[in-house]
Amino acid sequence: MTIHLTDADGSAVLKPCVHDYQVNCSNCRLNSVCLPLALEGDDIQQLDDIIQRSKPLQKSQHLYREGDHFQSVYAVRSGTMKAYKTTDDGREQVTGFFFPGEILGMDGISNNSHASSAKALETAAVCEIPFSSLEKLSSMMPNLQRHFFQLMSREITEDQQLITLLSKNSADERVGALMLSISSRNARRQLSATQFRLPMSRVDIGNYLGLTVETVSRVFSRMQKMEILRVENKEIEILDPSGLKNMANLRN
Amino acid sequence: MNSIPQDLVTSTSIPPEHKKDMELAAKYASQGPRYTSYPTAPQFRQDFPVDQYRAWQDTDGDHKRAPLSLYLHLPFCNDICYYCACNKIVTREKGAARQYLQRLEKEIQMQSQLLGDTRPITQMHWGGGTPTYLDNAEITELMHMLASNFRLLDKGYREYSIEIDPRTIETSTIALLKGIGFNRISLGIQDFDPLVQKAVNRVQPYKEVAPLVDSIRSHGFRSLSFDLIYGLPHQDRYTMDETLRKVIALRPDRIACYNYAHLPERFSSQRAIDRLTLPEPEEKLLLQQMITHTLQSAGYLHIGMDHYVLPEDELARAQREGRLQRNFQGYSLHMADDLLGLGVSAISQIGDFYLQNERELDSYYKMIDQSQLPLTRGCKVTTEDKLRRHIIMTLISELKLDIGECNRQFGIDFSTQFNKELESLRKMEADDLLSITDRELIVTHRGRPFLRNICMPFDAYLKSHQGDESPPNFSATL
Repeated sequence: MTIHLTDADGSAVLKPCVHDYQVNCSNCRLNSVCLPLALEGDDIQQLDDIIQRSKPLQKSQHLYREGDHFQSVYAVRSGTMKAYKTTDDGREQVTGFFFPGEILGMDGISNNSHASSAKALETAAVCEIPFSSLEKLSSMMPNLQRHFFQLMSREITEDQQLITLLSKNSADERVGALMLSISSRNARRQLSATQFRLPMSRVDIGNYLGLTVETVSRVFSRMQKMEILRVENKEIEILDPSGLKNMANLRN
Repeated sequence: MNSIPQDLVTSTSIPPEHKKDMELAAKYASQGPRYTSYPTAPQFRQDFPVDQYRAWQDTDGDHKRAPLSLYLHLPFCNDICYYCACNKIVTREKGAARQYLQRLEKEIQMQSQLLGDTRPITQMHWGGGTPTYLDNAEITELMHMLASNFRLLDKGYREYSIEIDPRTIETSTIALLKGIGFNRISLGIQDFDPLVQKAVNRVQPYKEVAPLVDSIRSHGFRSLSFDLIYGLPHQDRYTMDETLRKVIALRPDRIACYNYAHLPERFSSQRAIDRLTLPEPEEKLLLQQMITHTLQSAGYLHIGMDHYVLPEDELARAQREGRLQRNFQGYSLHMADDLLGLGVSAISQIGDFYLQNERELDSYYKMIDQSQLPLTRGCKVTTEDKLRRHIIMTLISELKLDIGECNRQFGIDFSTQFNKELESLRKMEADDLLSITDRELIVTHRGRPFLRNICMPFDAYLKSHQGDESPPNFSATL
């Protein structure tokens, strides 16, 4: 798989992703997203010791399943994860997408077991952060636990805000909001906010947004026609960010 | 929109249609408990049988599996509201919340060991103080502590509620509360008049509350509740009319009104309120009349004790079906018999016991730091108490009492045992507050504002105080 990095002049360049098992928190390029903390070298080492970096997940492989006991949270290092619930009639309901630097598994917090399942949309690497060790470590680094709860609360909040938006708004607004969300999450990890590749299928997008695949495609072509987006399969370029915000009804 | 009759707001005299109710209100105005427990908290003692309680907890039985309700007391506030009589600590000191959370975590762990971690938590309420004094990370952390030590539910029927100070909250926090499992919110509105708000040091303009209400609704909270207070400084029929208009426009599912009792000698913050700005007793009675008439003509049902709900609200349905309960959280659906209170001064109702945590923060910290459960007061409920509790709580929740059922359940003859009490009630019956037959007591519509008066004859402790602190001045019944 490939990821996008922004050049000095703002244009996107493609670089191969190396699954580097040697990576640690101090040299991880995501640590500004994951750990915006003034941790000293020694503290980082200790944190690094509790974090487990497992083998990459293959496409469609599960990280955890609904009902699993909540023991750890996970930071996505590369690739994209999809969270979903299984409805009463056995169908999949997508509840979220997680990009590098983002933490997932927090839905376990309210009843101590995972409320949804998580699987890889493409080859992905994650860091596992066991909660019990984190608690032990926090007694030595009081800032750390607080930081994790801050991260968690931010994820939960963004999740809810998106769900709320999606539950009410028109198809244009929903697709627009998702594109803006992906764009701002890219920007957070210093990737291009205007040019990216969608890691998920139109089916997943439709499922997540509560729209049919046809509607998703129609919205994309409408956005193309209005010169808001350039869409080429999974490649997206945002041509008119303020037009997109208008469309998503997120102007304030 | 239905509101109060025009003549009521344009004249300064008491309108004729309110005369009868107001005369009754004046006649029955007295001091009395709100009966969130029986025996009431002033009857608790330090020398209650805590060993018996712990021994009972160590036995196996239904109390190890039955549903449980949680109350968390979060005492801190950024600013003081002058009317407040709650156990609270006003501080902006950084780290206050952190110190408290550390103790709370330890208390949660100790209580979880004692009560077990398998009882389903059907209800939970965070009150204060100001629960949203905690920031988003601390709120998340506290919910995680609870989830790690108790069996929280993600079922739709759970009732997880939190009190919100509209001045401290941002939309992002509303989203977070929803995300970590809360499904009910109560807002401390008190009054919308700017002068009243200023006089009680709680300024929260309507134009800021309205968008907050929109946001709460858009996040899909199942129920929104407002707290209002009458009897505050500068309140009069005009300000109340305007406040009620605004409240009705926002249409909360539930409205709880509280009577402000001015007791500056007991609550130091109330000394900041100028006695001369308080509404005269007769005006205050009128305010209460306005609230009850205006809300009911706007479609709200008066379920009792100054609590109003929309007819489609679960509480209204529960009252019709006899599934309403009253405890320290006020009215709620009857889903769990036991209530565990956590945090400084919190009260638990578990099995045959009432237990109150230490009320002083420093002593509470000290006990927790010594790995001691911070239970310092309480009482064991006697057989007699249970009978009287049944009568009082049933009257307050269901607005009636089935005498035959009471006789069967407790093996008594109601009319002989409560001969004296019935005598007091007959005087109220003459004023059309309730009807008394051999089979039941029924609180009339007119009698609903006088529920406390109707219950007080059954309160054995009003005549013989058993608490180890001097009996308090209760807030006025009306």
